[in-house]
Amino acid sequence: MKTSNSLKKLYNIVSIIVLIALAFCFVFPLYWIVTGAFKTPVSINSPTPDWIPKELVMDNFKKLFSRQMAPVFELGFIKGPDAPAAVRWMINTVFMAIMAMVLTCITASMAGYALAKKRFHGRVLLFTLIVCAMALPKQVILIPLIREMSALKLYNTIWAVILPTVGWPFGVFLMKQFSEGIPTEMLEAARIDGANEFKTFTDIVFEMVKPGVGALAIFTFINSWNDYFMQLIMLSSTSNLTISLGIAKLQAENSTDFGLIMAGATLAAAPILIVFIVLQKYFTKGITLGAVKG
Amino acid sequence: MKKLLLTGLTLTAAGMLAACGGGKAEQTSAAADSQAETKQEAQAGEATELSLWTYPVGKWGDAATVDGIIKNFNEKYPNIKVSVEYLDYQNGDDQINTAIEGKQAPDIVLEGPERLVANWGAKGLMVDLKDLFEKDSASDIYDPVKTACKSPSGEYYEYPAFMVAHCMAVNKTMFEKADALQYLDLDTHTWTTENFLKAVQAVYDSGQQNVGAIYCSSQGGDQGTRALVNNLYSGTFTDKEHTKYTVDSAENVKALQAIVDQAGLNFDPSIAGGDEITLFRNGTLAMAFCWNASQQTNADNGPAGKTNAGDEIIPMLFPSDDGATELCGGIWGYGIFDNGDANKIEAAKTFIDFVCNDEAQVKESVKASGFFPVRPSVTGVYEGTETADTMKLFEEKFMPSMGDYYQVTKGWTTARTEWWNMLQRIGTGGDVATEAATFTTNANAAAAQ
Amino acid sequence: MAKVVYTGRSKELVRRETASAYMFLLPSLVFFIGFVIIPMIICIYTSFFDSTMGKDAKDVFIGFGNYIELFKDGIFIKALKNTFVIVIISVPVVCIFSLWVSSVIYNLNDKVLSVFRCIFYLPVVTGSVAVTVVWKWMYNNYYGIFNYIGKSTGVLKTNINWLGDERFALMCIILILLTTSVGQPIVLYVSALGNVDNSLVEAAQVDGANELQLFWKIKWPQIMPTTLYILVITTINSFQCFALIQLLTSGGPNHSTDTVMYYIYYMAFKMFRYGYGNAMGVVLAIFIAVLSALQFRVAKER
Repeated sequence: MKTSNSLKKLYNIVSIIVLIALAFCFVFPLYWIVTGAFKTPVSINSPTPDWIPKELVMDNFKKLFSRQMAPVFELGFIKGPDAPAAVRWMINTVFMAIMAMVLTCITASMAGYALAKKRFHGRVLLFTLIVCAMALPKQVILIPLIREMSALKLYNTIWAVILPTVGWPFGVFLMKQFSEGIPTEMLEAARIDGANEFKTFTDIVFEMVKPGVGALAIFTFINSWNDYFMQLIMLSSTSNLTISLGIAKLQAENSTDFGLIMAGATLAAAPILIVFIVLQKYFTKGITLGAVKG
Repeated sequence: MKKLLLTGLTLTAAGMLAACGGGKAEQTSAAADSQAETKQEAQAGEATELSLWTYPVGKWGDAATVDGIIKNFNEKYPNIKVSVEYLDYQNGDDQINTAIEGKQAPDIVLEGPERLVANWGAKGLMVDLKDLFEKDSASDIYDPVKTACKSPSGEYYEYPAFMVAHCMAVNKTMFEKADALQYLDLDTHTWTTENFLKAVQAVYDSGQQNVGAIYCSSQGGDQGTRALVNNLYSGTFTDKEHTKYTVDSAENVKALQAIVDQAGLNFDPSIAGGDEITLFRNGTLAMAFCWNASQQTNADNGPAGKTNAGDEIIPMLFPSDDGATELCGGIWGYGIFDNGDANKIEAAKTFIDFVCNDEAQVKESVKASGFFPVRPSVTGVYEGTETADTMKLFEEKFMPSMGDYYQVTKGWTTARTEWWNMLQRIGTGGDVATEAATFTTNANAAAAQ
Repeated sequence: MAKVVYTGRSKELVRRETASAYMFLLPSLVFFIGFVIIPMIICIYTSFFDSTMGKDAKDVFIGFGNYIELFKDGIFIKALKNTFVIVIISVPVVCIFSLWVSSVIYNLNDKVLSVFRCIFYLPVVTGSVAVTVVWKWMYNNYYGIFNYIGKSTGVLKTNINWLGDERFALMCIILILLTTSVGQPIVLYVSALGNVDNSLVEAAQVDGANELQLFWKIKWPQIMPTTLYILVITTINSFQCFALIQLLTSGGPNHSTDTVMYYIYYMAFKMFRYGYGNAMGVVLAIFIAVLSALQFRVAKER
């Protein structure tokens, strides 16, 4: 018993040490991005890495912001003032991720409720379709999707990225699982009280599945932010790019100007990192909830 | 029940229409917006909107320069709005190809015959620019250039604007240190194959592990590797008639083998031409195969003609065993995508005509590229500029060695892909003769289609 | 899934309920049918045609021609193999690694736990492109830190061209994929381990079970649902690995990092072979469907 106890202790200590080393490895790329963004070209290209840069410069950011210009926003007739393209890319990305998130949450919570609580013709078929489609990678349908978007005159607009994201049925599946937990009696009671379908949904169902909506919101936001592939095939003009695409392009044009690329990467990572660190609790809760129900 | 389903479907369709209606509205209003703008400015005539996509050909990839050119254009033609997108060589093709598939191909593209004529032109996507060639201003375009811009069936899919002979470059300081300058003829900028290999060896022996890189991550800058291989023992890339590829000839195989055997020349499948230039500039490599006049005069990261560390860069012709180097030419010009709108095509032609032929503009356009005009009547482009001497050197020592423009051979897209794939296989130990034969088989199969 | 019960309900009621159900489903169906189902049908349809780009290009019906060509296409086979290598390596490694990390951190104090969880989740939120470009720099042949560390510790004699060497390129890509894949599983396992029924654990301890037995007999069955979920999502994620390939190697060197995803993209936008690309998509979809079905099967049996 004693040996096993001290063995356990030893194992715990070794584990923690290994874990701390691993944690360093996981933080390192991010550290390298951020410090790289402020390094001088000499320091970047030296074969001996500059672990802790002695001299920090803003040149890379200056270069990044002076490269291309684009109007800050375009809304029909109104065109915003010109700003560095990177700023526009950021705005596009935030718009895209939030739009996808909001639309997904609304449509999925409605559909999930119907699938879980209503008995209707075609229910089994629909559910099977949803489950099957979930596992399918989007790349498989890229060619038809481009043609479709072009026919809808949406190609090369942010909407071409948002709409397929909203169509992805994972959200419906998730919200169905959450909605199953709503007691049927509550719905019956509401109906007897004379609440109409829509009111029942907003007042009772939506309140009950709120945690699920939160989880779905976080999921959709991150996925849409990171969905490089869809952005790559759907967007082409400078003023429509997302920040991910922008850096990828930067990388292709100046493939070894790592300072500039890191400046772009820092810009891309900063907002979502800040959101993550501030809302960490909700993130972990959302992810866990999503998995438990999914 | 059926009724219900029908209603559902109708509603679905309606919803979809609404969804796309939103986008449409946005687009048309954007168009209306710019139209209104133009009307305010010009009052008369209908405004046409053109999109111009440029590959990074010298300063034609730089927004400030191109904006200036478009400003000049709009002073004369205020009714034609030109919006520009800047492509890169790594993803540019994919970008255009997806745009074609998305039915949003640009109106004008700035690139060379290998894409405009041999690729998109051959697929029937481009407009025949015959009428531009019939104008007086086109009469003295060099004949080989004209030929390169013409498809096998006689349509002109590119209107040429500027050209250059691609060459290579060496780091003078490194060569000096290795006592390798003796192998270069600094007067004619030439060297023999034998001397070239000796020089590489000398630089390698001086402690420089990476003398030159046979970059092959993709097709970017592949004219450099092609020219190196073809010139070493006077091989050719295709036959004279541009009907089939001849990379598996004894001369080319010998050249490839010489490169494989030479210490200091390393195959690098993780970089392309652009990366090679950066590595050359920052002193990692002692020579660059992806060089030209525009690179020599580039002053973005320090003084022109110097590496980042201040070492002098000497441009060189590719080494050749018979003393007759054939440099790979680059001919850039404009092509028009046939988007089915006659107004736009007409406006695009106006733009091309202005940029290439307008007396006051043509020199500016050429200067922006950092290359040379395609017709003798345009002279003194670089007169009085800082780069005048360098450009004169290139005009006198390099341009005369411009070789056959074989990049319009059928199956070119496939051949290009096969080329870097072949280099990758050879770099990882593949047998040179076998791999060259594989290249030829695959490329010729594409040429025969 | 609850059974649809019609008995005792009037037809009228069923009709009303169906109507209201579809009202709720409608917004979602618009997107689902419009941007998933319809493209999928087009995809299957076009895969039977020789479809290419060009003004006068006409789609030619060739039946199973594309499919037959696929299995004769050496590069496709290689891409398929690479895809499976990625899945086969990354799925178990992600599961085991994240389970181990979680088992070490789940009973630490709350602050420390959340710091660790946060750190392992960082690569996910940093964004795929940002992560990829920094790794590209670290792998760089000439001034990447891997070569520097390797050489200064004496492990490497000369620089290794990590992404340019057939022997290492795929493994390098898998390594990046791993760092971006363990974040979510760790979060999940930590919560699953924290939810293990303590009375069972205590009872087993009283019976004198050792740590290993405790884990396998008590904890493992309880975290099984989580494990299955992680298996499924990691499999799907690994199949979708695209940005890494496109940004780092373009499938090279020598097709050693070609995946089916990348090859579809390559065929469609470099070779203009849409029908062929779609056929690949269909084949891949079938593979994934079979694999998912298997996993669901296993899940059900448990």
